[in-house]
Amino acid sequence: MYTFLSPKTLEDARGFLKSYPNLKIIAGGTDLIIGLREGLFAPDAVMDIKQIPELAQIKQTDEGLEIGAAVTVSELLCSGHLSGAYNALKEAGLELANSLLRNRATLAGNICNASPGGDMLSASLVLDAWVETVTPEGGRKISLSDFFTGPKKHVLKPDEMVIKTVYPKHQGKSAYRKKKRIRGHDLAQVGVSGLLKGDGVLTLAFGACGPTPVLIGGFNTKTQSRAEILDAAMNGISPIGDVRASKEHRQEMARYLTEAVLDALEEVRK
Amino acid sequence: MKAINLTVNGEAHKVFCPENITLLTLLREYLHLTGAKVGCAAGECGACTVIYNGKPVNSCMVLAMEAEGAVVETIEGEAKDGKVSPLQQAFIDNHALQCGFCTPGMIMSARALLDENPKPSRDDIIHAMEGNLCRCTGYEPIITAIEQAAGGVR
Ligand SMILES: Cc1cc2nc3c(=O)[nH]c(=O)nc-3n(C[C@H](O)[C@H](O)[C@H](O)COP(=O)(O)OP(=O)(O)OC[C@H]3O[C@@H](n4cnc5c(N)ncnc54)[C@H](O)[C@@H]3O)c2cc1C
Ligand code: FES
Ligand code: FES
Repeated sequence: MYTFLSPKTLEDARGFLKSYPNLKIIAGGTDLIIGLREGLFAPDAVMDIKQIPELAQIKQTDEGLEIGAAVTVSELLCSGHLSGAYNALKEAGLELANSLLRNRATLAGNICNASPGGDMLSASLVLDAWVETVTPEGGRKISLSDFFTGPKKHVLKPDEMVIKTVYPKHQGKSAYRKKKRIRGHDLAQVGVSGLLKGDGVLTLAFGACGPTPVLIGGFNTKTQSRAEILDAAMNGISPIGDVRASKEHRQEMARYLTEAVLDALEEVRK
Repeated sequence: MKAINLTVNGEAHKVFCPENITLLTLLREYLHLTGAKVGCAAGECGACTVIYNGKPVNSCMVLAMEAEGAVVETIEGEAKDGKVSPLQQAFIDNHALQCGFCTPGMIMSARALLDENPKPSRDDIIHAMEGNLCRCTGYEPIITAIEQAAGGVR
């Protein structure tokens, strides 16, 4: 049995991170509660971060769009901040589970859960996002391109907590496309995000196509054909077969969804 | 055991319960409000839907301890003075239930939708109900019932 902690300030939260080495953070709880129930872990303490006011904020700053770790996917979708180049994040949010779960599930929880198929992950990767963390002693910025290390694994230390996710400003367009088995009730079989900048530079990212979400950058739609882009992207992913889809199905879907993303980004010539 | 204070259907409660139970268990086993159902207990089915601080959520996906100070509405609060609400009546009139297991959750999702958007489109309804599964009705009568309830007053 664990102790339930509900700090009201970041300082108190840092104190708890220090005094309970075997602590689990609960944001929306939509992954954590299932893990607790299935006995995947047995923490000494569960710390709710939703009573810390700073973590509930969404702000546009000089750095970009900052989203607090307690902001739910529903709040983010209703915030009016996900226009322009942030569109992929909006499309991913609308694909995440269903409206009941989105009222609890957070963006930071999706990232920290680090499932390779998490909807917000590929969208966050193409948008070059980073997380900011605190520990009892300090904190750091971690680019999401350095964050994921394996299925449900990331670089956070046990006493480290994400406080916000930051999306720098971009000029351009982005999109997210997902294939799942049941609308509203399934992780992606494959998810694909793309960001196309005004100068033709294209970045793609793939969910459920490897042990971590896969970021593949450096395409240029002014110099490369669509076929070249697709072939190079498909060489960069390594999907496996599992309960959701076979390897072959994932490969086909990744190609198909990448085309759909390129269609949505329009300017990419055929 | 820890004390938790919350308001359910307008009534304030102080409940002593273990720290590891869900809001669904608190409602059913400590407040004896068994309207919210235990379907999957894993966020999949919506049978446990309640309105939590104004938003519909799966009560199996909320820890009881998180609910300190929360305002919760359950199906038990829907009928007033012994009379079913127009939303409930619309479910009856449209055969929007067969076994009835999903119905408390369906009504709470629909109630939250109508409170926020009294004139939803059919698409709004389908979108708002996507977390609630029904293995009997095929959904059409449920959507029609909500459309009809939106045409009348509560
Ligand atoms: C029925 C169902 C359907 C689902 N469908 C989808 C789907 O379609 N797409 C999808 O992507 N996901 C889906 N999910 C998974 C889940 O809803 C998401 O991953 C969600 O975004 C998790 O956020 P949360 O706030 O609920 O996380 P929590 O459960 O609170 O936390 C998730 C993990 O991250 C850790 N954590 C949380 N916050 C922090 C922090 N600030 N710092 C450090 N660690 C932290 C927790 O300790 C935990 O290990 C589904 C889940 C269910 C139950
Ligand atoms: S019992 Fe809560 S969603 Fe199924
Ligand atoms: S009426 Fe039986 S599950 Fe919906």
